[in-house]
Amino acid sequence: MPTAPAELDSRYADEQPALSGDGRFLAFVSNRDGMRSLLLYDLQQKRFIPLPRLNRGDAIAESPSLSYSARYIVYVASDRARPEIELYDRATQQIAVLTSGYRGWVRNPSISPDGRYIAFETGIRGQWDIEVLDRGTNIELDLLNRPRSR
Amino acid sequence: MKLRLLLLISCLYLSACGAGRLVRFPYDVGGRSLNSPFAEQKPRVSGRYVVFTSDRRGSQDIFLYDMTNRALVDLPGLNALDMIASTPSVTEDGRFIIFHGVREGRSGIYLYDRDTRQLRNLTENIKAEVRNPTISADGFRIAFESSAKGQWDIVLINRNGQVLSR
Repeated sequence: MPTAPAELDSRYADEQPALSGDGRFLAFVSNRDGMRSLLLYDLQQKRFIPLPRLNRGDAIAESPSLSYSARYIVYVASDRARPEIELYDRATQQIAVLTSGYRGWVRNPSISPDGRYIAFETGIRGQWDIEVLDRGTNIELDLLNRPRSR
Repeated sequence: MKLRLLLLISCLYLSACGAGRLVRFPYDVGGRSLNSPFAEQKPRVSGRYVVFTSDRRGSQDIFLYDMTNRALVDLPGLNALDMIASTPSVTEDGRFIIFHGVREGRSGIYLYDRDTRQLRNLTENIKAEVRNPTISADGFRIAFESSAKGQWDIVLINRNGQVLSR
């Protein structure tokens, strides 16, 4: 886990930036520390945020997307026969595999700022198309610290 | 019909694992909906909007879909004949779209304002390759990759193109 703020400007490649809806957090994929990892950086406090259990030694996590306050992170995890889209909840540190029953090839997920919708690419029709997953209204939406309206 | 069946099946699978349900937006062969007979790629969802690229008009263009109205939103002045547009991102209010554009062999990070219909290259002064832009849902921060230091690094700017400290 990199610590110092200067480390954001690393000697290694940092790719696939994703901003939280409020602009405070930056997620990206990095090759530092000899491993390809998904990192979350707090631009306000200038420090990295630990993501316990997200980066596993036997998997590569890529294509991150963040909800409004970065409570939810969706990404593609490649540790199975095919890549799966996973949802990481920073509040519970739990990972949910969102596409385990889905039959098409999937990639490039994106989560809405409130955390309810996830759009992703699907190869189910033999070309890339867009699928939108609705997590419903029974989830805890990421509505903390939001300005009431803009 | 076959598509609806497929979607229904995948719905059942997904709800079985508790992830949620797939939203069945209309599929339109004429290219007036989210999905078409052509490729749709790089979706970003923000608020009621999904922004994505599609080659349904013969070149790779950017489209904005309104999930509430279930219709495409016009983007006058965004898709230019001499530009290849990719990796779009949209603010939650649907006003700003940021994307990667290649024009005359030069890549740039472009900002489109739906209110003013203005298109601006925010990285005109950066002498490097740039790619993969994203805008925060509130519209105040933009991040992208730059090759200025001989590798891909992440740069943060605001909507005026000013580099923000990290």
